[in-house]
Amino acid sequence: MKPDPVARLLAALPRAESAASPVKDYPTLRLAAPADILAAARILKDELGFAYLEMVTAVDWLGPVSLAGFVSSANPSPFTKKAPPPPVAPAAGAGIAYRPVLDMLWSFGNLQTGQKVFLRLEVPRDNAEVPSLTSLFAAADWQEREAFDLLGVRFSGHPNLTKILTPDFLKGHPLRKDYAHEKDAYDED
Amino acid sequence: MGIVLDKFPVVAKAVPGGQVLLTSTDYIVDLGRKYSVWPLTFGLACCAIEMMVAYAGRFDFDRFGVIPRPSPRQADLLLIAGTVTKKMAAPIVEIYHQMPEPRFVIAMGSCASCGGPYYDSYSVVKGVDRIVPVDVYVPGCPPRPEALIYGFMELQKKIMGMKLERGGGATAQAEKGSRDLTGEAA
Repeated sequence: MKPDPVARLLAALPRAESAASPVKDYPTLRLAAPADILAAARILKDELGFAYLEMVTAVDWLGPVSLAGFVSSANPSPFTKKAPPPPVAPAAGAGIAYRPVLDMLWSFGNLQTGQKVFLRLEVPRDNAEVPSLTSLFAAADWQEREAFDLLGVRFSGHPNLTKILTPDFLKGHPLRKDYAHEKDAYDED
Repeated sequence: MGIVLDKFPVVAKAVPGGQVLLTSTDYIVDLGRKYSVWPLTFGLACCAIEMMVAYAGRFDFDRFGVIPRPSPRQADLLLIAGTVTKKMAAPIVEIYHQMPEPRFVIAMGSCASCGGPYYDSYSVVKGVDRIVPVDVYVPGCPPRPEALIYGFMELQKKIMGMKLERGGGATAQAEKGSRDLTGEAA
């Protein structure tokens, strides 16, 4: 008998809702507030056997931005003619709701039953802060540091929230849509 | 070592009596260097898989005297096999300066040669020759072991052109770019 994680979580967190856009066919739950993630993770781990935190990541939903921050021109090949400058970033694309949020995504696995469940949570880009899961999952440590490094999400309660992938001199969070690269010692052109 | 025995009478002269052999210092030093280039075990990305194959039985780098060493202080050759990220650049320079002279560098694959598919990336050095001088570039993504062996044989050719009168085999320190070991281009 496999537990139904979505029903159990919905019972505990009435403000959450089953996500309209699930991750593939997996049960996906959209949380209402950052404070809910700790409660949801505790229920998943302690009651439902989802003891394996597979992934912590996020999606930046800021719309198309100017290409000014790209490292070089759109056509860097010396063997072809210089391409015309890239077109001005288009307006919001059809059918995609661009908005200034980071869509957080957690993935939990149950190694006994083979189930997966995804949790989503939208936080504002300017003040992206969610509770850290390091108190429940040791695996959250580096995953959250990566999300902090590349996307600029701050995890409150993380014991060592420092850069993990990018070099120390790199400023900004490269996977943010509006990331503008500053030339460093290795970029000479 | 049949190649060596074939060519040896040309450059070495046996004095009658059979106990003494005359040859040029350059030749005998370069010969030793050429057949004992020990690379540092150092793989950065997928090119390292092809590098490992070149060491293994099918291609057998050992027959060239290529024996991988685990420490830069025992190595002659820095084989940059893979993508050089900006975070890895400083350790590579440190490793390079830990190696005893004369030291050689082979840039294996597109990434190490010029950045390759990551040329526009915010995190990749556009070729390892921006931080250390490179002797041989091996193109490919990744190069097959035959290509790496060919690049190594090109390095052996350059080594045979080195002369002791030009600094005892140690080459002038180029901060970056490719390097002319034989001094013929100057």
